[in-house]
Amino acid sequence: MALLEVRGLKTWFDTARGTVRAVDGVDFHVDRGETLALVGESGSGKSVTAYSLLRLLAPPGRVVGGRALFDGVDLLTLDAARLRALRGGRIAMIFQEPMTALNPVMTVGAQVAEAVRLHSPVSRRQAWDRAVELLDRVRIPAAATRARSYPHELSGGMRQRVVIAMALACQPDLLIADEPTTALDVTTQAQILDLLRDLQRDMGMALILITHDLGVVAEVADRAAVFYAGRVVEQGPVAGLFDRPRHPYTRGLLASLRLENAVPGTRLPEIAGTVPSLLDLPPGCAFAPRCGQATDACRLATPVLATSMLDGGDGWQAACWAEVLSIPRAERIAELALS
Amino acid sequence: MTADILSKVEGPRAGRLSRLRARHGGLRPLLLGLVLPLGVIATATLVRLIVRGDPWEMAGPPLLWPGEDDQFPLGTDALGRDILTGIAAGAPVSLLIGLVSAALTVGLGMTIGALGGYYGGRVDAVLMRVTELFQTVPQFILAVVLVAIIKPSVATIVIAIGVVSWPPTARLMRAQFLALREREFVQAARTLGMGDWQLIRTQFLPNALPPIIVMSSLTVALAIQTEAALAFMGLGDPNVMTWGGMVGAGQQDLMGAWYVCGLPGLAILVTVLAFNLLGEWLNDALNPRLGER
Repeated sequence: MALLEVRGLKTWFDTARGTVRAVDGVDFHVDRGETLALVGESGSGKSVTAYSLLRLLAPPGRVVGGRALFDGVDLLTLDAARLRALRGGRIAMIFQEPMTALNPVMTVGAQVAEAVRLHSPVSRRQAWDRAVELLDRVRIPAAATRARSYPHELSGGMRQRVVIAMALACQPDLLIADEPTTALDVTTQAQILDLLRDLQRDMGMALILITHDLGVVAEVADRAAVFYAGRVVEQGPVAGLFDRPRHPYTRGLLASLRLENAVPGTRLPEIAGTVPSLLDLPPGCAFAPRCGQATDACRLATPVLATSMLDGGDGWQAACWAEVLSIPRAERIAELALS
Repeated sequence: MTADILSKVEGPRAGRLSRLRARHGGLRPLLLGLVLPLGVIATATLVRLIVRGDPWEMAGPPLLWPGEDDQFPLGTDALGRDILTGIAAGAPVSLLIGLVSAALTVGLGMTIGALGGYYGGRVDAVLMRVTELFQTVPQFILAVVLVAIIKPSVATIVIAIGVVSWPPTARLMRAQFLALREREFVQAARTLGMGDWQLIRTQFLPNALPPIIVMSSLTVALAIQTEAALAFMGLGDPNVMTWGGMVGAGQQDLMGAWYVCGLPGLAILVTVLAFNLLGEWLNDALNPRLGER
């Protein structure tokens, strides 16, 4: 059984201009010890998905449907006390901005120690020792001294290490990392990714890595789920995703990265058009208006994530009519729907 | 070079005090802001130890000018009561009423503001309407009415001052909490599994306190002023000598013997000024953004 299984997750935001369907039927799963990357542009729903899982959304955001089974327990309906025990205990989360994710008036050691004491009955002294141990584990030099520093005395990379140390305080089974390297410079990014990968291997935890950086995905993830306009449009093992993307959106994303073939002075490869407004999604497939292969079927009915007929059972799934069905059959469905 | 590196390594361990000193810069604000209020408190205590007479006693001839008689260095009032003894007896009363009612004010304001700011929604709406209700009624008049309805005594005066002066503290606290609620480190602490009380204790309070501390010292100053004004209007505790009461009693002789009002008035002025300066100094000392100036 998967460690976390998300089915049909829907998170909507009620705004003055209408209901924004930020997450609109998302399916994915994570196995123990595995790294799943949630990839997508800003506003594609990947972060909202993560926040929904831990029920961290403030109104007007609300989860309107779906299930998120963590070890068989539905996170979305769990009572508050048991949810709090899970948060930071078995599921931990780290945030994008290490500058603001730490309390400015507490020493970093005290903050890590606080995280330790939240879920295990240890004395202050033991918690502090454990905090120093954790800071050392995330490769902070002179951890015992650094533990007495305030966040503003540390660099961005060091702060992100502290944030990771806090998340690891109770040896979680699942770590959700929301763009953990976006705010860092490139060399620090590589160090933090290395660190995450090593820690994950040593502790055997599952990792959900939210990112818009396909380079990060290629480097760290086992599997990836590609988000577009609040849905997962494709998911599968990373190697396959980079070699043979099935969904036209994924193909477009990868094409826009292949700059070695670009002729200097010409426009860089891009996906035509823009992401549709979540307030006013087209009927059918949200990507259809930008898709070169879109048929009438695509504009009528929303494709569901389905295992491709053309592939063996490697868990590959794409939400694309052109991919799931042969095109002539799709058109037949469209005709039926029109008549 | 080595020393330079060492100082960097030692940086985070350098004492808080030296960093605080480096931040607020200069000795003069420290002197004014910290030494003056402490001086007022110390003087009040010491003078009372030396001048132990009964402030109500008719100790000498009425309306003696200061310096006229060595026995009454600050003169006497219309009833021949020693003014120095009065000021000395009034000092602890004024200070205590000021401090205790300020503590009540800050306690009430912090609790109400914190609840509103933390929980938001309906709780906040109700608490803020109540706060506005108190703010629309003129503070001093409400205090007068409260004291007049209940019998004037030290306890009722403290309660009256506390009840009328909490709204600004509550609003400040609420604003702090509202701003902190959106901060990422609070969200991060929530994902670590902290409950409401743990969040308030470890994340909200330490970050919300600096401006509240500054405001508290101003609240003390305001409370001392309010107490003096109440006593001036004859709404002081009739069994206790207070500065405001002395000013009130001396007003008939204002033309001929201004010092009867003026000297206790000066005591009020210096004390209120001292706590205001304390507030300013704390503001500078606790504000990290002013540090780089």
